[in-house]
Amino acid sequence: MRRSGPGRAAESQLSEAVAERLADVMFALSTPSRVLILGCLLEGPRSVGDLTSILGMEQSSVSHQLRVLREHTLVRAERVGRQRLYGLYDEHVVALLRAGLDHVEGRDQPTAGDSAHPALGDQTAGMPTG
Amino acid sequence: MNDRRNTIEREADVTQAWFAPSADRRSLLDRAHRGDIVGALGRVPSADTSPRPWYRRRIATLLAIMGPGVIVLVADNDAGGVSTYAQVGQNYGLRFLWLLVVMAGVLLVNQEMVGRLGAVTGAGHARLIYERFGRRWGTFALGDLLIVNFLVIVTEFIGIALALGYFGVSRYISVPLAALVLIALPVAGRFRRWERAMYLLVAASFVAVPLLVLVHHSTPLAPVPAGPRHLAPENTVFMVIALIGTTVAPWQLFFQQSNVVDKRITARWLRYELADTVAGTLFFTLGAVAILVACALAFAAPPLHGAFVDASTVAGELRNQAGQWAGALFAVALLNGSILGAAAVTLSASYAIGDVTGTKHSLHRTWRDAPKFHGSYAALVVLAATIVLIPKAPLGIVTTGVQALAGVLLPSALVFLLLLCNDRAVLGPWVNARWLNVIAATVVAVLLVLSGLLTISTLFPHAENGWLVTAVLMISAGVLGVLFGLRLSSQDVPSPPGSDPPGKQVWTMPPIETLPSPVRSPARTIALLVLRAYLLLAVLAVVIKVFGLIAAS
Repeated sequence: MRRSGPGRAAESQLSEAVAERLADVMFALSTPSRVLILGCLLEGPRSVGDLTSILGMEQSSVSHQLRVLREHTLVRAERVGRQRLYGLYDEHVVALLRAGLDHVEGRDQPTAGDSAHPALGDQTAGMPTG
Repeated sequence: MNDRRNTIEREADVTQAWFAPSADRRSLLDRAHRGDIVGALGRVPSADTSPRPWYRRRIATLLAIMGPGVIVLVADNDAGGVSTYAQVGQNYGLRFLWLLVVMAGVLLVNQEMVGRLGAVTGAGHARLIYERFGRRWGTFALGDLLIVNFLVIVTEFIGIALALGYFGVSRYISVPLAALVLIALPVAGRFRRWERAMYLLVAASFVAVPLLVLVHHSTPLAPVPAGPRHLAPENTVFMVIALIGTTVAPWQLFFQQSNVVDKRITARWLRYELADTVAGTLFFTLGAVAILVACALAFAAPPLHGAFVDASTVAGELRNQAGQWAGALFAVALLNGSILGAAAVTLSASYAIGDVTGTKHSLHRTWRDAPKFHGSYAALVVLAATIVLIPKAPLGIVTTGVQALAGVLLPSALVFLLLLCNDRAVLGPWVNARWLNVIAATVVAVLLVLSGLLTISTLFPHAENGWLVTAVLMISAGVLGVLFGLRLSSQDVPSPPGSDPPGKQVWTMPPIETLPSPVRSPARTIALLVLRAYLLLAVLAVVIKVFGLIAAS
């Protein structure tokens, strides 16, 4: 580990390696076009041609973004007959996307956050204010 | 609670007012390309966007950012480079010294453009070609790059075998050992460690200077003859073209752009990156000139003058002329250049593969983290080393092939480079200035003609290439280049000189897939037409040559 002394390890349960891997996965979600592709795949496996016509993106860039998503284990490819179908990697990815969408859409109601998450109050109380 | 939140938000506003926002390049393919700059000699945090009014701070920043330009340009004095400078010095004296200075200018112009592309777009050179010129041109550029790179790496291993052979080491020991060292360089997954290793090699490249001093002291100052009498003019033309062919190589473009992206240098730091490229150009010139002049001085007398065989005989003859140390220093310069060259050339291929396939490709990543990046690097090294070790491998064909193929690839790479640097969707306020377009277009046109001649004369060594024909072709290419450069900039609105438009420092390319398709300007059409015609000619020459060889056997 790079900078993890014993004190650091006790502070958080996540190891730095795991944090790096999670950050990599989140990086793959950091471009709208890739999120759009994943959103399409929430409804079921699709071929590159399907995605191209649904999203109105160019075929080459759909393929390229799919390669990036596969590299980050968010998407996997399956051969069905003569077609190559792309689907979400597993249930975790489905849950991750749904949670993300909930998170973004939940932001429209500003007061809901305060009452629903008492833990957030504790955290902000501990923040330095000076 | 609301009060507290407001405080936090207000603080955020204050922070934004104090520091300009950092430029976040939105077409990055790898998270490792985002974050702090961790150079061999310093560190610049990604959040640090404060101005630098003091010289001490500026120098510290420069030391941290310096790297891609220095490494790529010093790596240019590789096995092919060192032996070509030695050959030109031995056979022609100081007659072509001026050409090296001109080449340094050409290198500076080209490398500045790719550094800018990398910092502003965050995408590699190969990916930009794919996205802006289509899949067919992209595949062509990448395929050609990989083939040429492979052949260049083979020549680097030949250089290693010759250099260590001078010290009596068998190539069956030196070549596998060098391959292991090369594979070990990036394997730790620490950018800083890799860059420090590269800096050691860069520092060692200065042995060319004591070599020159030694030769200068031990040889009586005889007037260096202007040129040998017995060499035919077409050989001279070939020599000039070969010198340019080994100096300006396409892998340098791909390497520096990807290395700038990987080092996390953004548009904000472009002034420092320019200084890096200028420093690299000076180091390149120093090394190349020292070797050429040393060989010119040592071999000015008749029996050796004009009698170049290969790099290892140069080392032996230097020992006879200027003593034990001179021979050893030349061999060390050759060894060092070969290792540095092999490291950079191999890396440029691995970067390009990751760039096009969307896999992780960064020196910040370990083998386990980015297996395809390190795997393709190791595979290239092992394959090239194996070929050098095969007894009776046709290594002569490899050297010829490098020059012929480089002749095919280089001008096409430069045409793409010039068009990309005028693409407003890609570079926004960072597109080429008009004066730069004129220089760059002239360089491209002249190199196009020269590379065409190189391809032809490599394939047909007996073809007549008189000085007159060459000169006429050069001048007409130069004129056409100037006109084309003016044409490239003509649609631009001239910006007031000396003032940057607001936001230029943080301008980055929008996500590459959202860009509008390139404007079909006449300049672009002309450039791509010329490129097609040129490639057709080159392929035709290769086909004729192959048929000729088949018919002869």
